[in-house]
Amino acid sequence: MKVEVKRLVLRLRDWPPSAWIFFAWLVCLSLLPFLIIFAMSFAVRSPGGDIAWTFTLANYERAFHLVYLRVLTKTVFLSAGATLTCLLVGFPVAYYLARASHAQRQIGLILLFIPFWTNFILRIYGIVSIFGNHGLLNQLLMRWGLVDTPVEILYTRAGVYLGLVYNYLPFLVVPLFSALEKFDLSLREAAMDLGANRWQTFTRVLLPNVKEGVAVGSLFVFIPMMGEYVIPDLLGGAKEVFLGKVMVEQFFTMHDWPFGSALASILSLGLVLAVWLRMSLERTRSQTTSS
Amino acid sequence: MASQREKNIESAGAIRPPNRFVTFAFWLTIGFLYLPLAWLVVQAFLNDPANLASGFTLRWLEALFASDALWEPLMNSLIIGIAAATLATVVGTLGAVGFGPFSTFMPPGLHALIVLPIMIPEVITGLSLLLFFLLFQFELGMGTVILAHASFSASFVYFIMVEQLRKLDPNLGEAAYDLGARPGQIFWKVILPNIIPGIMGGWLLSFTISFDDFLISFFTSGAGLVTLPLKIYSLMRIGFSPELNAMSLVMVALSTGLVLLLWSREQSRKWVISGS
Repeated sequence: MKVEVKRLVLRLRDWPPSAWIFFAWLVCLSLLPFLIIFAMSFAVRSPGGDIAWTFTLANYERAFHLVYLRVLTKTVFLSAGATLTCLLVGFPVAYYLARASHAQRQIGLILLFIPFWTNFILRIYGIVSIFGNHGLLNQLLMRWGLVDTPVEILYTRAGVYLGLVYNYLPFLVVPLFSALEKFDLSLREAAMDLGANRWQTFTRVLLPNVKEGVAVGSLFVFIPMMGEYVIPDLLGGAKEVFLGKVMVEQFFTMHDWPFGSALASILSLGLVLAVWLRMSLERTRSQTTSS
Repeated sequence: MASQREKNIESAGAIRPPNRFVTFAFWLTIGFLYLPLAWLVVQAFLNDPANLASGFTLRWLEALFASDALWEPLMNSLIIGIAAATLATVVGTLGAVGFGPFSTFMPPGLHALIVLPIMIPEVITGLSLLLFFLLFQFELGMGTVILAHASFSASFVYFIMVEQLRKLDPNLGEAAYDLGARPGQIFWKVILPNIIPGIMGGWLLSFTISFDDFLISFFTSGAGLVTLPLKIYSLMRIGFSPELNAMSLVMVALSTGLVLLLWSREQSRKWVISGS
């Protein structure tokens, strides 16, 4: 029976019309645009401003020039720092959720995610209204006489960092939570019974068991972070460079679509790698459990 | 197997609840996440938004409701949201009906194609759709924003509907047929009432995604079209004003209402946590 069904879906002419409609939709509105970006990354912009559809690796070469390498390293460091912070902050949060009762967990998860369904721009505005020069924090600091002039947090690298951590935290809590949830608590008890202290139990029993899930989850936060445009634009000020910002500016300010597309393709490639890692991880896991 | 294991963990967790440090860390984080939004709400009611001690007032809200600044973007957001959600629901449901029975045997490539719109970072979705629209000479405006929003929401609807259809008893249609129902009747009177919760969940999720979206609208709207998030963005670029605060309050209230609505429905609940 199962074999029969399998053959059915592999044979294109057996697809019902409804499947074709959805398939055509996906091809037109998500695969094709994606392929356009990829194809565009090999094109060049002619002096007149038109796109010349050639095949050249010049855009990729340019992405590894010193100027852009500097942008890339800055972006990687900032995103990695923010991801690490999300991990450190997110771990106790996820641990709480993994250990909480069913009701506590449900309430905890929805509380964690409500802010992320409010509009993204509003969250940025909220951060500005707290940490900005005229924000709540500076108002209080000045009223209490701790500082005379506002502390500049935003429109610096710290502002970008803050924005990244704030906006990505829940998306790291979820994979952390699911890794911790799968962790067999009796292992922890066994380690304690065998004389391990809390720290040893944490580093030698808990961490090795969740590290893969955590690593892949981090990658899924880290890569989209590097593509962020609005956060560095609104919280980082004009001088802060960031990969996502440079990429979007290629499209809208420089009108160099091919180069912008090359940057977008590099970013997408990173994501494909992350997906592939997660899939192979799941495959090995299901193999070990089934054997 | 997995559910048993989950139960074990759950009961173990219930026996030994999270310790004080972890609980404190959790609530501290929640506090940090809510503080900016809470302060936005408070600010909207302050006589002088920059001064906490200036007293409460409703005049900013009243002024906002009386001006056009709110209504036109709000109407645009609603029209786009309703159109995009309806389109996404139709396409996603068709996909689930067509592919649903085979979803467990699906070739990886096809599965990847369906997941692609959900996985790709918003920036890249927005940029690639913009290039697509420009190359094929679509006129940027409400139509392109609707298509762009629906393009990735359809995949969310697909997954919700696959799950909903799986719950459907496969004998249901056959039973109706045996009892003399015509194919049209089978669909409208037997199948549809059973999958309506999924359709509504998927529609609501698509609407919420569209209503809250900034980046993709920003890229694909061209000049002239203003949605609520785009309006907030342009006000924010100009500088801070009581008008912006009042509009933020309206937006926070609407979004929170939508999330709670999503959460209250079994079909869309799961996506509140992993989606967005």
